[in-house]
Amino acid sequence: MPALSVADAERFLYAEARLLDERRFEEWEALFTDDAVYWLPIDPALDPAQAVAIIYDDRKRLHERVYRLTRTPVLDQNPPSRTLRLVSNVEVTPGADGEAAVDCRQLIAEMRPGGPGQQGLNAPRLFAAHCHYRLRHADGAWKIVLKKVVLLTADEPQYNLSFIP
Amino acid sequence: MAVREETLRRYAELVADDPREFRVHGSVYTDPDLFDAELRAIFERTWVYVGHESEVPAPGDYKTVLVGTQPLIVTRHEDGRLYALYNRCRHRGAVVCRQERGHSNFFRCRYHNWVYANNGDLIGMAQSTGYPDDFDRSRYGLTPVPRFENYRGLLFVSLAPEGPSFAEHIAPVRRYIEYWLGRSPAEAVEVSLPPHRYEYPGNWKLQAENGTDGYHGNYVHLSWQRVLALAREATVEESQHYRQSGSARGLAGGHGLLERPGSLNPNSSWTARMMHRYPDYDAAMRRRFTDEELMQISARRNIFVFPNLFLFETHFRVIVPKAVDRTEVALYVYALKDVPEAINQGRFRGHERFFGPAGFGTPDDIEIFTEVQTGVRARGQEWLLLNRGQHRERVEDGEWVGHTTDEAPQRALYRQWRRLMADA
Repeated sequence: MPALSVADAERFLYAEARLLDERRFEEWEALFTDDAVYWLPIDPALDPAQAVAIIYDDRKRLHERVYRLTRTPVLDQNPPSRTLRLVSNVEVTPGADGEAAVDCRQLIAEMRPGGPGQQGLNAPRLFAAHCHYRLRHADGAWKIVLKKVVLLTADEPQYNLSFIP
Repeated sequence: MAVREETLRRYAELVADDPREFRVHGSVYTDPDLFDAELRAIFERTWVYVGHESEVPAPGDYKTVLVGTQPLIVTRHEDGRLYALYNRCRHRGAVVCRQERGHSNFFRCRYHNWVYANNGDLIGMAQSTGYPDDFDRSRYGLTPVPRFENYRGLLFVSLAPEGPSFAEHIAPVRRYIEYWLGRSPAEAVEVSLPPHRYEYPGNWKLQAENGTDGYHGNYVHLSWQRVLALAREATVEESQHYRQSGSARGLAGGHGLLERPGSLNPNSSWTARMMHRYPDYDAAMRRRFTDEELMQISARRNIFVFPNLFLFETHFRVIVPKAVDRTEVALYVYALKDVPEAINQGRFRGHERFFGPAGFGTPDDIEIFTEVQTGVRARGQEWLLLNRGQHRERVEDGEWVGHTTDEAPQRALYRQWRRLMADA
């Protein structure tokens, strides 16, 4: 079982950010284990069983999210978002059973291009987030067991977040 | 005064209650002066929803809200009673509370340390010797709103001392609210905090119209229907057929609803399905209600309570107008009281799947709001049509009843809007 170094974690996170920025969502989905959770809490202190989250996807719901974005006539991602993700402050905490915890900060710039004067388009937005990952080594690769994204503005009103934050 | 009356008459003329072609003028979404008039004539005069009592369960609990653009505090005092107070120090006008919600034994203005009890009583101020001995503190408490009602746990205020009573305001929609509560055998709900909140660059009425619009679903939410098909929950054909069943109703007072028929068949209604799946729930519901009542309770409804509240299957939806082209919406998910835990957990996860800023439905609706807000700036032809189904609409018990895709609820909304704006 290889230990996960900070350099390994960075490589993994950069590759994930690239997949999302390039809208290669099905390849991104393949980074997750079958028991994975993708979670954007409104209040990270609350048990998701007791409170709603902005996103609380198990693997099946995550597949629906990617399917909706890539294979159905979504309005809210047509035109699609351009995104640009910066990943920083990477910290690794080794775990048991072939797992490791990775904490980092992300800054996501997002914009949907459109024609002149269109409400809601052509307006760049910035999202700052604490991100927490649990990675598991399986079949020769690290995979995501948990991706938790806590936006700085998690409890503020949000305009559409249907690009994947 | 002549100018003012002329302005108001102009606002009333922006709704054409034509029996064949009900129309509204595009400026109702774009005119900033009209928006200010709406705050005065609608949000500060009629009854506005400010929250549910379960959000402030214990003495000392409070939440702050906007009614129109006016800041209020809803607070529970040590006497156990609820108060709705203007969030404004009586001394120099600063707010006395900055938090969205919390728990406190008092409210203190940070400017000169005037301190108020949770019922608004002034209980002290800094260097009080600067006021005469006969300074009557009882005259300088936080100002309560003129009218405050707790209806089955739902809290409403009116900032106007006069006007239709709450009972009169709610009467046309009351029985539907009772059915909605009836999915809990205790006929009670408890809000689960925090809410989903979203904001969009568009007018508040776009959300008010859309929540009872049964016409858009098969087009705007086709991607949602495809997700349901992927999950083998319903084929697109079944989803589209379901969206054709039931009725759309416009009620007096601007209220309205979109209704899917009730059923005791587990394949045909959520309530019957849950009763079938959870025998304890089935027993409790059958103890409490007759079959006839269960038929009504199991009908799925989006209920609009004019001007700022929807009751949905999973949430209270509260509309907060911020500017003529900026609106905030808060979705307060609630648990049904005295039902199996698994039912409420399933409701929360089901809610997240469709609703909220990253759900599979809400963002598509919001996208449309921004398209309307952009489109109505084109002024070659200024009127929007809300005449769908006028020719086949019928009146039953004072309700305008239409096909599920008809615009009966939207017409009811604008009839009330016009009445209030003309009276401003």
